[in-house]
Amino acid sequence: MLYLCTSLPQLPLESRCPPTEDPVAIAERSGARRWLVACNDACRGAGIHIGMDATTALALYPSLRLIERSSPHEREAIKGLAAWAEQFSHWVCFDPERLLLWIEIKSGLRYFGGVGEIRSRVEHGLAQLGHVGFIGIGPTLEAAALLSQVPEAPMIERQTQLAASLDKLPLAAMALADDLLEAFTDLGLSSVGQVLVLPRDATARRYGPELLDYLDRLTGRLRDPRKPYRAPDKYRRRFELLGSVEVVEGLLFPLRRMFVELQGYLIARDTAVAQVQIELLHDEGEPTLLRIRTTRPLRDAVRLFALVKERLERTTLGRPVEEIVLYVERFEALGDTQLELIDSGRRKDQGWHELLDRLRARLGDSAVQELGLQDQHLPEQAWCTVGESDGGTEPIPERPMWVLQPRRIRTLPKRFGKPERIEAGWWNGEDKRRDYHTVAAADGSQLWVYHDADSDSWYLHGLWG
Amino acid sequence: MLPIPALPFSPKAAAVDALLRSTSLVWRGHGTAAAPSVATGHVSLDRLLPGHGWPVGAVTELVPDTSGIGELRLLMPALRRIACDEGRPVVLVGPPHIPYAPALYRAGLPLRRLIWLQPSSETETQWAAEQTLRAGIAGAVLMWTDTRADLALRRLQLAAEEGQSIAFVYRPPRALRNPSPAAVRLALRPATRALRIDVLKARGGQGGSVLCPLRSAC
Repeated sequence: MLYLCTSLPQLPLESRCPPTEDPVAIAERSGARRWLVACNDACRGAGIHIGMDATTALALYPSLRLIERSSPHEREAIKGLAAWAEQFSHWVCFDPERLLLWIEIKSGLRYFGGVGEIRSRVEHGLAQLGHVGFIGIGPTLEAAALLSQVPEAPMIERQTQLAASLDKLPLAAMALADDLLEAFTDLGLSSVGQVLVLPRDATARRYGPELLDYLDRLTGRLRDPRKPYRAPDKYRRRFELLGSVEVVEGLLFPLRRMFVELQGYLIARDTAVAQVQIELLHDEGEPTLLRIRTTRPLRDAVRLFALVKERLERTTLGRPVEEIVLYVERFEALGDTQLELIDSGRRKDQGWHELLDRLRARLGDSAVQELGLQDQHLPEQAWCTVGESDGGTEPIPERPMWVLQPRRIRTLPKRFGKPERIEAGWWNGEDKRRDYHTVAAADGSQLWVYHDADSDSWYLHGLWG
Repeated sequence: MLPIPALPFSPKAAAVDALLRSTSLVWRGHGTAAAPSVATGHVSLDRLLPGHGWPVGAVTELVPDTSGIGELRLLMPALRRIACDEGRPVVLVGPPHIPYAPALYRAGLPLRRLIWLQPSSETETQWAAEQTLRAGIAGAVLMWTDTRADLALRRLQLAAEEGQSIAFVYRPPRALRNPSPAAVRLALRPATRALRIDVLKARGGQGGSVLCPLRSAC
């Protein structure tokens, strides 16, 4: 086995708040003390750093925005990230307390073309998602986790190299309780190797069996009992906004991230979507629902996001948004249109579908219509607005290019030619008997009019455009 | 009722035209541009247009007197060529009435290559036409607009050029009061079983007036 572990120290912040120029920090209370566990770049400029006391930080920078740490949000974020990471491996797991995400990479080495390639893909993906992540690669979960805590750590590929490679790494990178770390430091220990050579029996007696268990899982003596995570079959991702958002721009960052995560989820399952639903929840009242349909199944985050953005720009937010929920309930097989090797004809096709999606997103579904035929006698029923026609076998008589809603007319211009009689509906009680004529109006236009036998009146039904 | 515009191709203009034609000393730039075009299906009209057909990658402005005179049927031969032979879609943007599928089908247009857009405002109409032209997949975009802005037409011209498709822009008669940036501008008037076409402007073609017989309808 070979694991890639990503440590996500900024997740408490990233799960709450999009990047901003103003100093924002996450505070956690432990006992009587309230201290900072994460802060953004702007904080560093103001002299505020992680581990600082909240009161001190506020004294330094009174307009600092302090947010209480929230583990449900972090959990939601790391789950979203795990769903995204499934594109790299069928075996993914995470630890929401330690803010770690593991991906088993041995099985995909050949597919991705080596450890370096997987690593750079993960790094690139994390940057795309807007997460800070540090990567460690090792043959056990705990070794990978340990390496992710050490800057510029080596990569350990084989179990046999493990002990030697861990030897010189700093003690502080180990996942040990604070009091234990302190005790070891007091003993004069400073590296991982020094802990590993402690006599086992004495260690277990003195520091408890958990330490031994951890050391064994670190070195691979004991199998790690962690189970892989599997994202649910229906995709659902929530993002609670920090404070209410009144402008569309405030929704774009979290939405973009959601679509990148969704893309990973879709790649993992080799599937795609033709419809996504986005609910914008408000403090009160019904949520605003955006339903994005695409002509062809899609999985590309950039394209899906572009469609949503287009739609959002046409949407007026009546009330501030508190929370965004992205749902996908149905998945479609991805046609081969998005494979990298496609001929120009298919690419054209793809361009056409992209164009239609864009038009639909901006103009609304009902403003983009395809025309079809229906095998009906009444002219107003002989057409429809769906893709495929069911008629077309019967020869079609001469018809005008434009039709109108039948409109009653009082004065009738001169008519010429033989009338065409259209009768329909006698079989279902909605008997219609009409005589259609072509007449010329005073301005030179040619009208398609009919005489309705029942009401004995004339109607304008079309124009010979 | 709108005032009927002045006769587009006046007898005076015709006289000047005849005079210029009678001499070979004046070079008038005809037939120089071998611009790509799609034949209109009407030989007499082709002769007057640059490249002997509807110019590809340009705006053709059509100004019918009123609707219901054959203004759409005029384009059918070319649209058929675009949709059937070239396999490129045809897009209608903001038509004044419902385009009737059976008539279009009867005219030989494959309906699956036809898209009808009905945007809710002038701005959206303009946007949709531009996007569609620029994408370069549709072979022709037919657009109905009553914009008075020259800029709108210039933008369409650029989009058509970029996508190498034909932009047919239908405008109301009052548009004739102002000059047009379009490559071709035609005024359409009703005639018996035909359409009277005045070529008011044809960049690289020649002006003139022609009677186009129309199939179907009385």
